[in-house]
Amino acid sequence: MEQKISELRQKASEAIKNAATNLKELDNIRVKILGKKGELTSILRGMSQLSAEDRPRIGKIVNEARAQIEALIAEKNDELKTKELSNKLASEKIDVTLPGRKINAGHLHPLTLTLNRIKEIFLQMGYTIEEGPEVETDYYNFEALNLPKDHPARDMQDSFYITEDILVRTQTSPVQARTMESHEPNSPIRMIAPGRVYRRDDYDASHSPMFTQVEGLVIDKGIRFSDLKGTLEHLLKEIFGKNAKARLRPSFFPFTEPSTEVDVSCMMCHGNDANCKVCHGSGWLEILGAGMVHPDVLKMSGYDPKVVSGFAFGMGVERIAMLSYGIDDLRLFYDNDVRFLQQFK
Amino acid sequence: MQVSTKWLKDYMKIDISPEELAEKLTMAGIPVENVVRADEGLEKVVTGKIEKLEAHPDSDHLQVCQMNVGTNELLQIVTGAPNVKQGQIVPVALVGAHLPNGQKISKGKLRGVASNGMLCSADELKLDIENLPVEQKVGIYILPEDTPIGVPAKEVLGLDDVILEFELTANRGDCFSVFGIVREAAVLTNQTPNLPKIEVKEDDESKATDLIKIKIDAPDLCSRFSSRVLKNVKLGPSPAWIQQRLQGAGIRAINNVVDVTNFVMVELGQPMHAYDYDEVKGHILNARRAVEGEQLHTLDDSNRLAKGGELVIADAEKAAGLAGVMGGFETEITEKTKTVVLEAASFNGASIRRTSRAVGLHSEASGRFERGVDETKTIRALDRAAQLLQDMSACTVCKGIVDVYPNPKSEVTVAFTPEQINQRLGTEIETDKMIDILQKLGFEIVSKTPSAIKVKVPSWRNDVSMMEDISEEVARICGYDNIPSTLPVGVTSQGHQSDVQNFVDRIKSVLVTLGMNEELSFSFTNPTMFDKMNVPADSELRKAVPIMNPLTDDYPLLRTTLLASIMENAARNYSRKNEDVKLFEIAPVFSPKALPITEQPIETLKLAGLIMGRREDKGWSQNSDEVDFYDMKGIVEELFDRISIDKYTVEVSEHFAMHPGKTAAFKKGKDVLATVGEIHPAVANSFNISKKIYVFEADIKTLLKYTAKNFKYEQLPKYPAITRDLAILVDKNIAAGEVKKIITQNAGGYFKDVTLFDVYTGEHISDDKKSLAFTIKFQSTNRTLTDEEADEAFTKILAAVKKQFNAELRS
Ligand SMILES: [Zn+2]
Repeated sequence: MEQKISELRQKASEAIKNAATNLKELDNIRVKILGKKGELTSILRGMSQLSAEDRPRIGKIVNEARAQIEALIAEKNDELKTKELSNKLASEKIDVTLPGRKINAGHLHPLTLTLNRIKEIFLQMGYTIEEGPEVETDYYNFEALNLPKDHPARDMQDSFYITEDILVRTQTSPVQARTMESHEPNSPIRMIAPGRVYRRDDYDASHSPMFTQVEGLVIDKGIRFSDLKGTLEHLLKEIFGKNAKARLRPSFFPFTEPSTEVDVSCMMCHGNDANCKVCHGSGWLEILGAGMVHPDVLKMSGYDPKVVSGFAFGMGVERIAMLSYGIDDLRLFYDNDVRFLQQFK
Repeated sequence: MQVSTKWLKDYMKIDISPEELAEKLTMAGIPVENVVRADEGLEKVVTGKIEKLEAHPDSDHLQVCQMNVGTNELLQIVTGAPNVKQGQIVPVALVGAHLPNGQKISKGKLRGVASNGMLCSADELKLDIENLPVEQKVGIYILPEDTPIGVPAKEVLGLDDVILEFELTANRGDCFSVFGIVREAAVLTNQTPNLPKIEVKEDDESKATDLIKIKIDAPDLCSRFSSRVLKNVKLGPSPAWIQQRLQGAGIRAINNVVDVTNFVMVELGQPMHAYDYDEVKGHILNARRAVEGEQLHTLDDSNRLAKGGELVIADAEKAAGLAGVMGGFETEITEKTKTVVLEAASFNGASIRRTSRAVGLHSEASGRFERGVDETKTIRALDRAAQLLQDMSACTVCKGIVDVYPNPKSEVTVAFTPEQINQRLGTEIETDKMIDILQKLGFEIVSKTPSAIKVKVPSWRNDVSMMEDISEEVARICGYDNIPSTLPVGVTSQGHQSDVQNFVDRIKSVLVTLGMNEELSFSFTNPTMFDKMNVPADSELRKAVPIMNPLTDDYPLLRTTLLASIMENAARNYSRKNEDVKLFEIAPVFSPKALPITEQPIETLKLAGLIMGRREDKGWSQNSDEVDFYDMKGIVEELFDRISIDKYTVEVSEHFAMHPGKTAAFKKGKDVLATVGEIHPAVANSFNISKKIYVFEADIKTLLKYTAKNFKYEQLPKYPAITRDLAILVDKNIAAGEVKKIITQNAGGYFKDVTLFDVYTGEHISDDKKSLAFTIKFQSTNRTLTDEEADEAFTKILAAVKKQFNAELRS
């Protein structure tokens, strides 16, 4: 009897180890040995023929054998299950190099993105954002800015006229006068006015009959030229990065005194490339015009230059976008090719 | 304006490079656009004498020259020019020269004969060929016989010069002269100018006042008219130095009299004119307004008709020239001229500007008058011109000056305090420093008290009249670089933008998330666009604002519809094979209050969107269906949801540019929120697009009117909802929207929402019917509904749709 059990043990152990290659076979082995009609069960049944003193001893052996075989089966079962799962996973392998499913979000226009950035910078500094009509009167577009008829500086801005006295605005500066008029005289103003402007320029890589400008105006008691300088330096660093430097050159605008043109250091070559395509070797790029508001401009809009002073500036959004994105042809902005539009984020 | 540095050096010491000088001037508000080296490309060009000239053994037109270029050996050069002769002195480009026209000179052989350089033509050296004899225009440039041999050609050609090209601002008329630039440059480089002494000997017995009468009939346009009379005039070429100075200024030499008037204009900034005295009828010059239709025979020999009101200088019979713009034909200086009347006048800048624009002629003189000349210095200019002509023995000078100056300019003084200047600039510049700067610039200190400094503005500075102008003078000479950087102090307000601006930003960001790309297009349009868009002949949209002076015929109008612009952009993309396009734009359109225009038009902010092509980007796992009407409608619905517009109706609608069966209007009462539709195939065709295009158009202000100002979240339901499906057969032409409306109206108090989940036509259904299937949801906020309650509501709905649409319940 003992012999038989030992043999069975041996046989079962081998069968579990070798024969069982999947869970089903393992279960067959289990049934064959431990099932109701299984070999160990039949041995157990034969125990009734044993003597009373042998019974507990053999019983113990049988139970031990049973426990051992069950443990082996459980162990094998785990092993097979792990194997089966890994086979399943292997069979589920996909080509992870295939592109992901595209989410079709659109894109804001690069000029909107640039303008949003500028707006954000000034909103943080407490500026309001003002607007004005695109079709303006000669008064607001020129005269209120100290540019009487026949002023030679009008040549700088060849205009599209609608009548002798109505034109599409050549600059966003008319919003200056309109904003001042809408305020209590001498009350403080911090504003920018972005918008479309129009000049009678041929359409080429750097000119367009319509383009986008941002006008700025700050009026308060004790506003100084140095405040203008600091504000513009801050703006240029925010837009072009911490290393951007500003250079102010004296200039002339009828609506400011003193006036300045502002250059930003070339972000392509930092002034180190005599053949730089962007700055042509000068190291500087003209970026905006500015100055202290002319006393006559303040007076015309009901402000008293003896009480308050202010600065104003104007910049072309296309120019800033071209420099920040490295775009070399202004016409791309109004061409609206989707392959262009979809690049900007 | 351009100025030769040689000329500047005549009057001041310059010990920095022209580039450094240009930088200093630019940074002080006298912008130098370019520094041009006149000798560029002439480094290896020398003068050489043709010692021997032989025919080329193998060529009919080539000649072999033995050139003396100042070295021990003769240089053999082959030339093809026919105008060379033995003994002539010519410019020789040596091997290694890189000429101004880009040509590089190397050793070579011409038909087997060695050639070690090139004889140069005027054109190859980029010289002005206008006044050369014909053979020299095409052939080699022949130098005068006394030219030294073997010296750099740039020296004998007067090209050892550096030209500064200025782009002067409109306020600095005073810098439109060599004197003006010297004045600024001297201040900036700490030099003292050494200006020429201007003096004239009146060596003719005749008195100018006996010879010529000057009159000013238009004192508002001519504030001063001064003249001198020169007799015994000998017309001829000017001396080389004058010609070279003019060449440096970009002005061609003509004859001594004209050259001198130009020389004085560039040197002193005062434009001048010379009249042939014998041709001045009545010996009178009158500055008067032209009469409308008056004949003007100008020195370019063209007959012009006066518009009327232009300033002319007239003699006793007729206008003898457009003042400050162009002289008259008859009184021009010619070989026959014996007596000259010199004019130095001051004309009104605005008037000169109008005339020169009308005539289309911008001259050196008109540019100076436009910016304003120093009218107190006309006599200095006359004296200088007389002096120069006298120095070259070209005339005698009559006694006296005829000067009409009805309202002499009063002195301008400005009072300021150094504190005011420092306060305006944000600086701490010392008073002495300010005074020093102003004095060097020609300001005179009238008085200096602790309360104010009073200065007299120099007569040439028409641009300075107040403290703020003084602050600029101080700032630009100190250097803007030396002004500190600060930020405004004072009460900081909260930055904000208007509701409309916020709303526009919000719409843009929603549309972007919905796959739309933002475009920006011009505000202009043209009438053919209305035809292409099928705009009805009597539509208000055709009444567009016209531009008086459009750039081209492409854009003579301001647009009245944004849809045309977005169609143009779609068409441009389509023509480039970008067939999958999703665009939107927010921009104003312009409608006149009346035509012709008398006041500013109404500007209305519009939103337009367009989709065509694939719904999804092309890709291995992407759907390749094309968009349809419901994609466009879905975008509008989603937009409205995101900008909090709800409870609108959607109705069948019509639009001139849209498909008659595929156009819908989103409405709130009578207000149209948006029109959505498929572009009419005929319209698409007129844009050369053979694809279905879907668009929508909306008005921003109308949308803003209906957007909910406050949004409150809805509590999550505590009790479960009960749903019932309703599948009905109705006539095919019944709009699902109508059915939905009836369901909603009859669904009772527990109604939550209704979703159309299936639309079916085809098999098992008769041809004139369609099946619509809805899921209707019922829910209570305070208890769980019973099935009976849901069934009751459902029965009412069913009865209503049966009654309203003759609907049949599908099982
Ligand atoms: Zn650069």
